[in-house]
Order: sequence, then C-alpha cells, then structure tokens
Amino acid sequence: MEPLTDAQAVRAVLAGQHELYALLVRRYQDVLFAHAFRMVGARDEAADVVQRAFVRGFDRLASCREPERVGGWLFRILANECRDRLRARKAELSLETLPPLRDRAAGDPDEDAHVGELRARLDAALGQLDPEQREAFVMKHLEGRSYEEMASLLGATVGALKMRVHRAREGLQHLLEVYR
Amino acid sequence: MSEETRDEDAAWERLLTALREDVPGPAPAWLEGSVMSAVRESAARRPSALRRAGAWLLRPSLSLSPLTAGLAAAALAALLLVPWRDEPAEAPAAVVAARPAGAAEPVVYVQFVLEAPAARSVAVAGDFNEWDARHVLEDPDADGVWTGRVPLRPGVHQYMFVVDGTEWITDPGAERWTDDGFGNRNAVLAVAPPAA
Repeated sequence: MEPLTDAQAVRAVLAGQHELYALLVRRYQDVLFAHAFRMVGARDEAADVVQRAFVRGFDRLASCREPERVGGWLFRILANECRDRLRARKAELSLETLPPLRDRAAGDPDEDAHVGELRARLDAALGQLDPEQREAFVMKHLEGRSYEEMASLLGATVGALKMRVHRAREGLQHLLEVYR
Repeated sequence: MSEETRDEDAAWERLLTALREDVPGPAPAWLEGSVMSAVRESAARRPSALRRAGAWLLRPSLSLSPLTAGLAAAALAALLLVPWRDEPAEAPAAVVAARPAGAAEPVVYVQFVLEAPAARSVAVAGDFNEWDARHVLEDPDADGVWTGRVPLRPGVHQYMFVVDGTEWITDPGAERWTDDGFGNRNAVLAVAPPAA
C-alpha cells in the first residue's frame, strides 16, 4: 500500500483520525530537531521546542493553507518557536565569562581540550546574535539552504535574508582569529 | 585576491566546518510518543459537535476565567469589513470550505482580528456557523495578533472568539454588543451588501 501523502495525512487528521498525525511527526521530526538544536544549542531544549511546535501545528492544522506543503508550514511554526525561545531567555553564555583561549601550538597534546574550548566559544558567539541573524546564518551556512528556499520558508525577502547573514558573519568575525 | 582575503576565507571555512561538525543527530526516540501524547490531550479538550451545540444552548454556564479576563484586558482588536465580489486568491482554507454553495449569493469576507499573545489557537464562532468554532484565525508571524477572514451573508450577525478551544471571549474591539440573556455579551456585526 502506498504511504499517505502529506496532504492526505493532513486531511485525515482534520477529519478526526488524530493518530495519523504521527506520520507527519515521523516524517519531519529529524529536520525540525536539527534546526532547533542549532538555534537553541541544547538537545533537551531543542526537543522541547520541537514538541511545542508539533502540538501547535496540530492545534492549528485547519489553518494550513497548503496541506501538500505541511512540512514547510511546520518548519515555519518551529522557526517562530525557536526565535521566541531565544528572545525569552537571557544569554546564559557570554564571551566575557569564558577563560582566555590558549594558543594552540603545533602538535598540541591537549587537542581535545582545545576543541572543547572552541566549541564553547562558538556556542557563545552564536548566542550573541539576534535570533533572526542566527536563524539566517544557520539555514544558509549550516543547513546549506538557498536564499530562495529560505525566503519561501520564512516569508522574508532574499535581500533581507542576505543582510541577516551578512550581519551574522560580522558578529562572528572576532572568532576568525582563532581559525587563522 | 589578496593573501589576507585568502586567509580570511580559509579561516571562515575552518570555522564553518567546526560548526557543521557539531551535528545534532536524529530527534530523540521518545519525541514522537511525547508529541502524540500531547496531541491526544489537546484533541480530548476539543468539544464534540454535540457538546458544542450544548455549549450554545447552555451558554449561561460559560463564564470568564482569569485567563480570559487577562486576554481581554490585553486585547487590541479591530474589525474590518473587507468586501469582495469573489473569493480572494489568498483565502484561508477555512474560508474556502465555508463558502456558500450558491455562487450567485452575495458574500462579504469579513476580517476578524484579536490580539491574544498567550493563545495557542483562536477561532470565531457565531450565528453564521452555528456557533461552531471552525473558522480558525491565524498568527503566522507569531506576534500574538490573530486574523482570519470569514465569508458572511449581508445582515446582522453575533459572534464570540474562542481561545484555545475552550475560552469564549467577547470581542473587545467590537462597536456593538448584545446581552445573550445569560450573563455574556455577544459582539454584533452589521454586514452591508457588497457594492454592485
């Protein structure tokens, strides 16, 4: 038997077959989780945000105008949830609270510790970006999406998205020194 | 390309590589079950058609909860009359589904607006849909302002907003209200026929 299409699943859920929503959850949870993780930076919190997005999507499914594109519609709900989450919390990490980065000499025996320090710096630097800038940077450079796809998903113009990515790169510029 | 530019590009590549290496992996195995459990709870809170009919007939039992009062106090609502001869190209699915079958019958699309930042869903119920909150409002940019267009026949209509599927609130932005005789107020809306 052919699996249900997204549109068929949406219509079945709206008709009362609520358990079929699990089909959409299975279909999109990985990509939504990956985005949430890169936005909020912690697995537990990312899973919580994804759950909230899916439940919100279920509650508002009747307002999904294009059931055949329910994946993009769910992504948009998730993106809103992620931005709200970032706005709501104060930056727990800031560059000032981190110890100074040690110089990495050739053949540094403590390579793992150095990588850990770099990761903490990356997390902190991403945390300093505006949610919209972080979102654009994540989608462009970490998820590898085109500007056209981003514009379609987020409802923003390509020009605005390019500007956000540009600002994000400016915000991360100070990190470049340690990668030279 | 200068040497400095090449160095910077190479540094960017190393930085991005480090970020990409921090892969999240698949969603946790428990997530689907957790989502579906929450979905079942949400579905169970939705009143059945029979209970909805009862809610209308027994409206005196409805009262404003503190949540509702808070929403109403925070609400900034406006009601706009937006007449179209034909269905708008961007009409929400709910509007399409609710359009009267008689094509010749004049219909006016009315835009309902409610600001309810804490709401998870907002719908409008009125005498035009048998007080069934099937016309769902949307908040696509999550700014707390919910909007939706509903096709109405010309005439005088009464309605209320339904927040999170359970909280019935009077539109604070309505210009007219009427007491429903049971202690609640329905907003009153007069819809003029579309211009010829």
